[in-house]
Amino acid sequence: MKDILLSVKNVSYRYSDAEEDEYALRDVSFEFESGKLYAIKGRSGSGKTTLLSLISGLERCTDGEIIFDNKNLKDINLDKYRSNDIGIVFQSYNLLPFMSASENIILSMDINGNKTKNKKEQAIKLMEKVGLKSSYANRRVLRLSGGEQQRVAIARSLSYNPKMIIADEPTGNLDKKTETEILEIFKNLAHEENKCVIIVTHSENVCKMVDKVYDLDKKK
Amino acid sequence: MYILKNAWISIVRNKGRNILIGIIILIIASCATITLAIKNTANDLIDSYVSAYDKEVTIGFDRSSMMKDLDMGDPNGREEVKERFNSIVNLSLDDIEKYADSDYINDYYYTYSIGLNGQSIEKAEAETNNNFGRKDKINSQTDFTLTGYSNIDAMSEFIEGTYVMEEIADNAWDIAFDGDYVFINSELASYNNLKLNDKITLVSEDSKTYEFQVIGIFKENEDSGEPNMSMFSNSVNTIVTNTESLVKITSSNTNVKGDIHPTFIINDYNDVDKLQTEFYEKGLDESYILETNEEIANAGVSSVKNVNSFATTFLVITLIIGGVVLFVINMINIRERKYEIGVLRTIGVSKFKLTMQFVSELLIVALVSLLIGMGIGTVSAKGVSNSLLANEISNSQNKSDEINKNFGRGDHGDLGKGRGFAVVQAYDSIDAVVDMKVLLELLGVGLSLVLVSSIASITSIQRFSPLTILKERS
Repeated sequence: MKDILLSVKNVSYRYSDAEEDEYALRDVSFEFESGKLYAIKGRSGSGKTTLLSLISGLERCTDGEIIFDNKNLKDINLDKYRSNDIGIVFQSYNLLPFMSASENIILSMDINGNKTKNKKEQAIKLMEKVGLKSSYANRRVLRLSGGEQQRVAIARSLSYNPKMIIADEPTGNLDKKTETEILEIFKNLAHEENKCVIIVTHSENVCKMVDKVYDLDKKK
Repeated sequence: MYILKNAWISIVRNKGRNILIGIIILIIASCATITLAIKNTANDLIDSYVSAYDKEVTIGFDRSSMMKDLDMGDPNGREEVKERFNSIVNLSLDDIEKYADSDYINDYYYTYSIGLNGQSIEKAEAETNNNFGRKDKINSQTDFTLTGYSNIDAMSEFIEGTYVMEEIADNAWDIAFDGDYVFINSELASYNNLKLNDKITLVSEDSKTYEFQVIGIFKENEDSGEPNMSMFSNSVNTIVTNTESLVKITSSNTNVKGDIHPTFIINDYNDVDKLQTEFYEKGLDESYILETNEEIANAGVSSVKNVNSFATTFLVITLIIGGVVLFVINMINIRERKYEIGVLRTIGVSKFKLTMQFVSELLIVALVSLLIGMGIGTVSAKGVSNSLLANEISNSQNKSDEINKNFGRGDHGDLGKGRGFAVVQAYDSIDAVVDMKVLLELLGVGLSLVLVSSIASITSIQRFSPLTILKERS
């Protein structure tokens, strides 16, 4: 029996200022299971980022429905959904540059409402889990390399142990070697920690490493 | 809790901008403390001064309404005016008592005037040259006008300084309102060789005689009277007495007509319209209207009111300029921190919490600045307010002395207490200029400023789409 965590059912999205027949995303239906690594691929303008913003609760779909863990996203508080249930990783990392690596992770724990006292220790453990040295904990993120920043972003997304991780072109700014290392982290999270990991990408290399690929170009 | 933590981190991170905001709020807080303290002190002074005045209402003719639609150039029009004036029924003592029985009225007094001729004394009169070189005689129906006052509060000419007592019998104020005693003009006294305690006899048109004893001699203040080209003052043939004596005369002799001028003491000037309606309902001719002493009562504190008004204007300008500057700084702040807003929204911070964080940042800076500004303002405001207070005490003291002098008393007695000229002692103990009221007002001002200048951040946070921000950044 499939362990469906996320269902995208006949979802369409049209910008409020768009013409009647102009859709950014039209009638898309996908299913995502826990413990699997997915890729959503497509060319520029295929609606990858739109789909990502819909399943991460940053936008609401105009038609159709998105069901996460048996709950319709239309019916739940999307701020809580983003701070508790899913982790988001962006191509440009989106860390707060005036904070250190550990502070970025701790902030995410705070937003989640984590009340434990040893948050810094937890943050360091997460950093080590994604291949960062503990000595980087107090380092400003701007003093870290791209790959290191992306690892901090992944560690941040794991800080409240979400069921699903959504990554938007997470390796787009990284070299080949680092790309492989980052993808390995995602693979481990899916296969060893039973998380549902969705990577939005246009990279064929990424598509080769995932369990299942959804192609938005075919939907267009 | 993390909202406050984040707010504090942001304050420390943006030291320069927050110091600038702090300085602006500090200046606003200092100015606001000074102006609010001055305003409150000034308001206290005004309230204290104005409340020392009785709120008086008198009955007068509504001349403008009576003259309306009448052509004074036309002889018929003039006749109609005369008819209208003659048709108005004079007020009686019974009327006054009836009107005074009102919830709006605290107390009342009145003056009562009659005309009598001289028997033992002669009217002081002189011939004057008019503009055309003719000789006119000062003329009236009777030789003397006797003005009776119901009590000392009614003696407005003495209170206002039109009449000043020159000589007075030792026990004059003990007996002045109880029997047939009079105060006469010093010129009339000289004209008839009268001294204190002399008796004078006056006679009515129907030859009945009335005897009075002189217990005081007053003179008319040259500065306060109407311009007078005569050798005698306007009040030379005015004899001041009490209403009881005159009512006794008019009651026993119907040929002597009295003219009554009441003054009602009310609680609130705002009740005048309602009181006037009540008077009309009780039978007052609608040619009469009610007039108050509000303008006179306020005139004494015009300088304090000016200071108050200046403080208000200064406060408003400071707040507007300060508010605009803070608003602009916040706008810039928001533009600079757009990315931060996008990230925080993406990782699950609600719009409300984000708004609270931005408002908290400003609030923390504002509270610190308000405290320092309040200290600076308190130190400065005391000097300014005390100087204002000292000046006001000096003015009030002078006024009090002057009025007591008008009554022929050198000390600061209780004469006329309630008329606002023996209250200077009430002011000399006001010391705490910045009180709880000022603190609360200042807190209100500070919070309002923070909220107004936070509008930029609040609206931006509501409007921003996190994804758009992050896309722009990418």
